[in-house]
Amino acid sequence: MSEIGGSDLFVLEFGDILHYYTPYTTTLFVLALIFTGLAILSRPEGQVDIAFGGDAYYAKETAVSEMRFRRFMTIACGLATMGAMGSGDIFNFTLFASLVGITNVGIVAAVKSRHVLDAAYEYGIVAMVATLPLFGGAALILATTGTLSIPALAAGGFAVPPIGKALLALGVIGEGMAPFYAAKAEMFRAPGAPYVIMCSLSSLLIFLRVVEIAITI
Amino acid sequence: MIADYSIGLLVAFASAGVAFFALMRETDGLHRLLLTDLIEVVTLAFIALVGTDLAEALILPGLVVGVSELIALSEIYRVKEGYVRPPAAGLQIEVMESAPGILAAILVVYGIVLSGFSGGAVAGLGVIFYFLSRSHSERFELIETASGYSWVLWIVAFFVFMLLPEYWFFAVMLAGSAILVKVMAKMSLIGTMRGGPDV
Repeated sequence: MSEIGGSDLFVLEFGDILHYYTPYTTTLFVLALIFTGLAILSRPEGQVDIAFGGDAYYAKETAVSEMRFRRFMTIACGLATMGAMGSGDIFNFTLFASLVGITNVGIVAAVKSRHVLDAAYEYGIVAMVATLPLFGGAALILATTGTLSIPALAAGGFAVPPIGKALLALGVIGEGMAPFYAAKAEMFRAPGAPYVIMCSLSSLLIFLRVVEIAITI
Repeated sequence: MIADYSIGLLVAFASAGVAFFALMRETDGLHRLLLTDLIEVVTLAFIALVGTDLAEALILPGLVVGVSELIALSEIYRVKEGYVRPPAAGLQIEVMESAPGILAAILVVYGIVLSGFSGGAVAGLGVIFYFLSRSHSERFELIETASGYSWVLWIVAFFVFMLLPEYWFFAVMLAGSAILVKVMAKMSLIGTMRGGPDV
């Protein structure tokens, strides 16, 4: 077993399914926790557009109910990210990753702006299509090794197919668009500063976690 | 067994290829949304190919994820295209006035006999058909309350399994009836999707 995450700090067992934290995943977990706390506490920005070539500017109005919904989605996204950080079961991890994908769309879905909704829709279709490699990878690993437990797979004795790992990583990239944030740039033009950043942070974290999983198993 | 799995995997990959190709060619927003559903089905096929009890248990969360993404995306599509008109009144067909009562009664009774998850699905199908064909003025808060309480009973049954295993028969009966009511109540809501009072 190649322990890139360091030795286990804490293990919570539910039979075969368990949650475990290594120094690596604990760091990611704490990041998600801090940012969820910030999103709960902070007041959203008021977005201002500067008219090019003049002194004029437009202040955008955003309703309280819209902001409340987006804060809820941000908290849900944070919880899903935290779950994905600690999960020791590949299928649970894929479910958390797809939950991150849904809540990422949800964070910007309440915005009443055509181009943001267009971008969210296109991104949502990518996230939905990405469930194919995501669950397909998990199913391939289950079919060839007979287990989904990451510690059991890491202990050795199983030949985890590289295509399974590749599909898993591809699925997470699709859910979070992880290293290709430019693809989500239109979404970030939605007003409401602390909330949209959660889209980036959560996808970065699940991407870092899937890299750890792919190397460990 | 292994050969079967390989053939199934090949078919699933081929279907995925067809679905992705279709998605690549399609430009209309709504059609692309429908095509993603095709990919969801292949996803479920990948899990189903494993063919064990565990795979059966994994299909349900996979299905729930797919359906929730589809609902979220169709809501975004509706808002961004500005479709706010309520759906028109139902079809005026004579057989849809007389048949639903009998068919729904048969399906509900058979569902109660089956009990459990599949029974709930069968009985729910009867209720969907009834609500789809007739106009409805039920108090849906009440149905939702019943559904919520039966979900709690289902969870209670699981605790009985874990803490008091000697009462397993009671827990089986409790879980079977509770999930029947829960699934039926949830599915009946689909029948009201064309709108109406109290929905």
